[in-house]
Amino acid sequence: MTRRRWGLLALGIALLGWVIGGEWVSIHVLVPENHFIDALPGLSFLLAGIVALDQRPGNRIGWLMIAYVVVSYLGNWGNLQVPVAPAIGSSIGQQLGGAILAHIALSYPAGRLRTRFERAVIGIIYGVSGLTSLVILLAFDPRADGCTRCAWEPAPFPSRTAVITANLVAQRLGFILVLLFLAAVWLRWQRATPAGRRELAPLWVAVCVICLVDLMGAFASPFPDRQRFAYLVWELQSVLYISLPIIFLWGLLSTRLARSAVGDLVIELDKPLPPGQLQACLVRALGDPSLEVAYARDGLHGWVDAEGQPRSLPEPSDGYRARTVTMVERDGQPLAALIHDPALDQGLVHAAAAAAGMTIANERLQAEVRAQLEEVRASRQRIVEAGDAERRRVERNIHDGAQQRMATLALSLAMLRDRAAADPAIAASLDQAAAELRQAMAELRELARGIHPAILTEEGLPAAVEALADRSALPVRVLADFDERLPEPVEAIAYFVVAEALANITKYARASGAIVDLSRCNGTLRVKVTDDGVGGADVTRGSGLRGLEDRVCAVRGSFRVENLSAGGTCVRAEIPCDA
Amino acid sequence: MLIVDDHPGFRAQARALLMAAGYEVVGEAADGESGVRVVRDLAPDVVLLDIHLPDITGFEVVQRVGGGPGRPAIVLISSRDASDYGRRIERSGARGFIAKAELSARTLAAVLGGPGP
Repeated sequence: MTRRRWGLLALGIALLGWVIGGEWVSIHVLVPENHFIDALPGLSFLLAGIVALDQRPGNRIGWLMIAYVVVSYLGNWGNLQVPVAPAIGSSIGQQLGGAILAHIALSYPAGRLRTRFERAVIGIIYGVSGLTSLVILLAFDPRADGCTRCAWEPAPFPSRTAVITANLVAQRLGFILVLLFLAAVWLRWQRATPAGRRELAPLWVAVCVICLVDLMGAFASPFPDRQRFAYLVWELQSVLYISLPIIFLWGLLSTRLARSAVGDLVIELDKPLPPGQLQACLVRALGDPSLEVAYARDGLHGWVDAEGQPRSLPEPSDGYRARTVTMVERDGQPLAALIHDPALDQGLVHAAAAAAGMTIANERLQAEVRAQLEEVRASRQRIVEAGDAERRRVERNIHDGAQQRMATLALSLAMLRDRAAADPAIAASLDQAAAELRQAMAELRELARGIHPAILTEEGLPAAVEALADRSALPVRVLADFDERLPEPVEAIAYFVVAEALANITKYARASGAIVDLSRCNGTLRVKVTDDGVGGADVTRGSGLRGLEDRVCAVRGSFRVENLSAGGTCVRAEIPCDA
Repeated sequence: MLIVDDHPGFRAQARALLMAAGYEVVGEAADGESGVRVVRDLAPDVVLLDIHLPDITGFEVVQRVGGGPGRPAIVLISSRDASDYGRRIERSGARGFIAKAELSARTLAAVLGGPGP
């Protein structure tokens, strides 16, 4: 056993003597009707205080419990028939106990008061109790007050009026102090994070017990010979007081109980874990549903989640949404960051991180690979989008440049043709030139459409596909369950899927017709092009379908070509509308 | 007649073509905003309006000028084909559409529904 534990044992034995001795004095000197059962609350606080000091040496609640035992049994020792003892017992012993109890409650579970308001409330409670004690110490003479059993008191300034006034003022202020105390508890609850609120549950139980005991105080009396019922209430108060230290101790030691969950975590991590499941395991082990794990990128100052998606670490803040970041490092290099509720015990978090060290390292590598894949995919998407933007730019340039000039030229030719009507040879040449120009313009228009159809920009996907169907050599039926615009890249990819599929059907399928079905479902655009031809289409052959597959997959979509059993081919593409 | 088009070469050719056909061209505008202003100032009978203008589209000009009695007949023009605009031309409220290369007194008269100037 360590020296500290020997010291605690000695303190425990001394205070055991203090409690039992005080009760013995009370029974044998002043109130023979009392029982040793009245010592139980003190013993309960004593035991809880010693255990708290042993298990949570850095927490002041253990010392506050010990202080409560010392102060509250001063009153019993005050029954000794020697001068001064009764005065100290009845003043300090009876006044300061409640203040210490309030201090324990408000400093739970960290063992310290956190806010100025809490410090002010506890300061005021101590101040009022101290002043009342002082007035009683100086002015109270129980014999003069009619107590025949009481010892003689050397009251320096005996004054019954002063004592009655002090008690009355303390009683009135007591009501306000209880309200202040409850306000402090309520504010603590309001500002607590979810895990912090779970920790505060014992505090609420204790507050209810304290309020109940205070309420019962109005009907209680320690003298069984005067009022039987009041004495019973007084005894019941003692019994309820027994529960208070147990409640606080349970709360304080719950972290130690939680450490056993870290043991469960070790067992859980012994088996292979599906990717991304580590966070769920840590959530269970630490009891914090809001816990998140971020993994450090290799050689980069960035963080990703288990899916490889970039994420940032939260800034320090207070209040309900406050988060704490606990770094997990290996050889001085950050491996991961646990983002959790600040109310979690840091020792517990570090224990869990240490237990999961190897799994965290593995998950980080997997997250790194996913992040790199995501970067490649994003790069593909950017290339596709840049290609589409370039197509739109080229089509616009053709329209603004060559097509405009050719249109102007067509007007010039038309005017010349009118003027040359009298000369058939020149008129014929001009007609020929105009026909050539019309042909060139038609070809340029087709080329521009192939690069990027203007109707897609102007009218959207359903109208553009309708126009495509109108120009198709085959009868094409278009079904679309929406009319609104979609993001430009989505419209462009879907349009080119339909265009390529219809071009293939026309060239190879020997079909009598085709159906284009455009529908939207759960944020995804579904494109289906079906024909009744000979089938045999294969994505792996030819660059057209392969190119389409690449474009669709670049935006996290899916693309497949099915040869239908009844004959014909079905090209399906699913494109996320947030692409 | 008023011609609204951002290409000076086309405006000049169109003006010459239409004047030769007997139309009176009362003004020209190079963008949508000035087109709307000139329509209000000059109150032409017919506006030859390019769909692609540098500031606002021809469709927006039609909307702002409005249709009905006392308002000019607006004929949309473009170097693109009518099919490139789907049903937007029908819905615009314009009298009709002529591809720029097809512009002539005959096509204009056909759109305006009369024998010509």
